Amino acid sequence: MEQLKLQLKEQIIDALNLEDMTPADIEDAAPLFGEGLGLDSIDALELIMILDKQYGIKFADKQASKAALASIDAMAAYVTEHRTK
Amino acid sequence: MIYLHSDHIITPLGEGCEANLSAIGQGDCRLRMHESVHDEALMTPVMASLLDMSSYRIAGYTLFESLCIRAVEGALRQEAIPVDGDECVFIVSSTKGDIWCSMFDSAQHIAQYFGNHVAPIVVSTACTSGVSAQFVAQRLLESGTYEKAVVVGCDVQCKFIISGFQCFKALSEERCAPFDKDRSGLNAGEAAACMILSRSCSGLGWQLLGGSVHNDANHISGPSRTAEGSLRCLQDMLGYVTERELAVVSVHGTGTAYNDEMESIALYRAGLTDVPVTALKGVYGHTMGAAGLLETILSLHALADGQILPTAGYREQGTTYAVNVSKDVRSTNKHALVKMLSGFGGVNAAVAWNVSKTQPVQDDIAAKTASYGWETVAEVRLDASTDLVALYREKVGDWPKFFKMDLLSRLGFVAVELLLQKVKAFCPDMELDTEHCDLILGNRSASLKNDTDYQATIEDTDNYYPSPALFVYTLPNIVTGEIAIRHHLMGATLCYILDSEEQLHPLAEVTLAENATQAIIGWVECSDSTHYCANVAFKVKC
Repeated sequence: MEQLKLQLKEQIIDALNLEDMTPADIEDAAPLFGEGLGLDSIDALELIMILDKQYGIKFADKQASKAALASIDAMAAYVTEHRTK
Repeated sequence: MIYLHSDHIITPLGEGCEANLSAIGQGDCRLRMHESVHDEALMTPVMASLLDMSSYRIAGYTLFESLCIRAVEGALRQEAIPVDGDECVFIVSSTKGDIWCSMFDSAQHIAQYFGNHVAPIVVSTACTSGVSAQFVAQRLLESGTYEKAVVVGCDVQCKFIISGFQCFKALSEERCAPFDKDRSGLNAGEAAACMILSRSCSGLGWQLLGGSVHNDANHISGPSRTAEGSLRCLQDMLGYVTERELAVVSVHGTGTAYNDEMESIALYRAGLTDVPVTALKGVYGHTMGAAGLLETILSLHALADGQILPTAGYREQGTTYAVNVSKDVRSTNKHALVKMLSGFGGVNAAVAWNVSKTQPVQDDIAAKTASYGWETVAEVRLDASTDLVALYREKVGDWPKFFKMDLLSRLGFVAVELLLQKVKAFCPDMELDTEHCDLILGNRSASLKNDTDYQATIEDTDNYYPSPALFVYTLPNIVTGEIAIRHHLMGATLCYILDSEEQLHPLAEVTLAENATQAIIGWVECSDSTHYCANVAFKVKC
């Protein structure tokens, strides 16, 4: 799980061009949107695309993606349960 | 005063207003699921209203050019008027044109088809293009720069555009339901629409009273939650018509949750919740560069017949503020229309029209000679030898969003940062007048560099992952949104696709809003990662 979290952090930093950030700057439990990492709605769409591309995850609806993208902890749990590749 | 001489529309429901109004009256609609668009297979089917192109193709011209030419031909058929002289300008409204052909070249092909050799103007301000183009035409004619303007709008749907809206989760598989409580997104649409505008009262003779463009400086792909830009546009329109005179507001009504909610807030804050509201995207889908012209033309013709068009797809109030949505056809004895649109890049636009026939008075005919000029306070030039990231780190450094921008936006952003730093150094007491500072940028290659990057994400069917973060920058006006957000600029933001920098400055000065006090005008051009340049100027009214 720890390896997956690190991998997700690296993928987020790379895909969203979070310049000057390292995986260590992203806390596992901190919210990714709003007050936390400060990601926005386009970032959320990009993360949905990344999870599809890297892990074969397709979200059924907005609510499911919202919960899955809440934090690194939530993402890692969702990926572990739903990944198809 | 500016007058509508003639018009024409081409939609999947037919050609001309008569055929279209009759079809709307009968509840006709061509929105259906498509697995391909003009022989191009889609990865995911789309609900769309598409044209049968076989009737419109002209040998030697692209689809986009052909449709625009057919629309102009229709307007000239309705009421002939010379459009080949130097006193007439062609203004083309489009978000993407033919994507891989230069939009300026297309505009030139269209103008030259009609024997017109004046450098045309492409207005590309996302979904607002068709209303912004009317605003630009009005400013150019009112100033006496031209006597006539042929304003033509169009977009041709393709996998490039549809995949982008799909990855943005903006499209609905149901028919678009503007302002309805069960609305679930927009549908793709196709049309071409043309208005021939004139300083002389001829032809239809309906009056374009005025226009307005405002950025809401909020987000590049989401509208302001408090409708700041649309509200300002509506407030400007109430300077041309009173609430009592207003027959109808033709809204954008995309059927997306945020847009329709935002528009209801704008109408509420402007005190217009009792005025009938109508939206046409439940009939045509979102026709993009044509939308502003198509929806204005249809609403005007209906109004001239004493009718307010129905809002197909609307059943029950679905916005926080109750607005007076015209569900079915209504009668009216009023004559004024406001058309409003909003789009990516934070841009909002509106125009006000009157369909009552009045004779022009002498004062109307005289060109409004500006009693003021514009003085350049500072200029900044950058070229491809500039390392934009290094420059950003050295001179700016506090806007992490910079790293998410495409190259065109990075270029415009850094150039304007340096420009405003220079202004501060030259004039320490001068404050940025955020409410009245217009931002007008022009270039020739539109968003070509980023278009190429986005295309790479959809090209390979085995590795098809359209990127929302790239798609949003395939609109060339996003750079104006990025700058507006950074500096809270709520004035007009416009993006022109032109022949050269020489064409930009005189055009920009004429098309600045009348109440603008400051302006950032710039040529921001980027054709690929090694060919780019920016030349931006800060001007003040004097």
